[in-house]
Amino acid sequence: MRPLGKAASDDDRPLIERVRKGDQDAVRALYERYFDRIYNYVYARLGRAEDAEDLAIDTMTRGLTRLDLFQDQGVAFSSWIYRIAHNATIDHYRRHGKVVLVSLEHAPALESADPSELAVEQLSNADLHTAIRDLTDEQQQVLILRFFQDLTAAQVASIMGKSVGAVQALQHRALGSLERVLQGRPVN
Amino acid sequence: MPEIERLERLAERLRAVEPYVPPPGAKIRGWNLVLAAVEQSNTARLRVHPIRRLVLATLAATVLLVAGAVAASADSLPDSIFYPLKGVLENTRGALTFGASDQLAYHLDLARTRLTEAQAMFARHRVDLADQALSALDDQLNDAALVIQAEKQSDPAVGAAMENRLRQEIATHDAQLAGLQGQVTNPTALNAIMQARDRAAQALQTAGKNGKSNGNPGASPNGSGQGNGTASPHPTPKR
Repeated sequence: MRPLGKAASDDDRPLIERVRKGDQDAVRALYERYFDRIYNYVYARLGRAEDAEDLAIDTMTRGLTRLDLFQDQGVAFSSWIYRIAHNATIDHYRRHGKVVLVSLEHAPALESADPSELAVEQLSNADLHTAIRDLTDEQQQVLILRFFQDLTAAQVASIMGKSVGAVQALQHRALGSLERVLQGRPVN
Repeated sequence: MPEIERLERLAERLRAVEPYVPPPGAKIRGWNLVLAAVEQSNTARLRVHPIRRLVLATLAATVLLVAGAVAASADSLPDSIFYPLKGVLENTRGALTFGASDQLAYHLDLARTRLTEAQAMFARHRVDLADQALSALDDQLNDAALVIQAEKQSDPAVGAAMENRLRQEIATHDAQLAGLQGQVTNPTALNAIMQARDRAAQALQTAGKNGKSNGNPGASPNGSGQGNGTASPHPTPKR
């Protein structure tokens, strides 16, 4: 997996202070740090490049112009910006409806030595992306953040407003559901 | 294969998925839009600052106005709009004055102020306000007399010294009132001055009495004063 850049961290604090003082270089630094990650997150959720681009820009705009609100949240900037992205995605679903580009229920079966076992190696990236979008909202969120964004369980817990244990349990259920979707079986 | 192993393989496969990377054009477009929004937001914030400055300037102007009014009231006369404020300040000063000697000084100071005001009002032909100022002067002298009377009970020597001080003050006032009496022709004004001189003399008699023998120390000799040391030092203008 290609890295998405510097991981989200508390290092953002000095940059945020500079942004609040009107430092344009700090705005640029935060934009560079998060734009690709947010684009990736939104694209993974929506599956459409045009929508991902618009929502990623919208998320970054909201995040960097409303830092006064961020000060009151008491969470890391990274968690805050992912929450904005998540809310933007939900709003997008509400406005446009949830679009499923390809349903794996109708995709060709993948060959495996054991018919009941999934041939993971044969799955394409597109297959996985499409299958993930068949999961519940929370399951999608946890898989994308944990495996596509490479965030820790604690970071995901902060973004989702859950405990680390709850995130780990959700991740386990999400992987099980993904497996069933990929096998063309009904999801729980 | 056990479930845990299968899911771990699936997780590993997910980790190997290539991330979606935005096209360079999208990132540049995004930066231009974000920068424009941030600049607009900063401009909006700056627009708020003049309003804050205006509020602060208004507050500062209010404070200056109040301070100016207080300063102006200090030398105001009964026909001034600041005169009521002068009364408030005098009352406050009185409430913060403790000890017989300080209280005596306070009443004598206000008595002098009232006499000055009365002279000014006579000069401006405001006999009504001059009369009020003279009544207030007598109230101050009477209150001073009561302070002395009380002090005589606790320390006769100090009380006697204070009485002497009052006597000198009243003599000075009487001389000024006598001079004033010779200048005015208005019968009402003359009557007011004569009454004031009489009441001043009564106040001196009150101070000369022994506190224990005074059956009614709260009564003012001229009947108009409060006579209990709590009278307002300030006449209420009737205009």
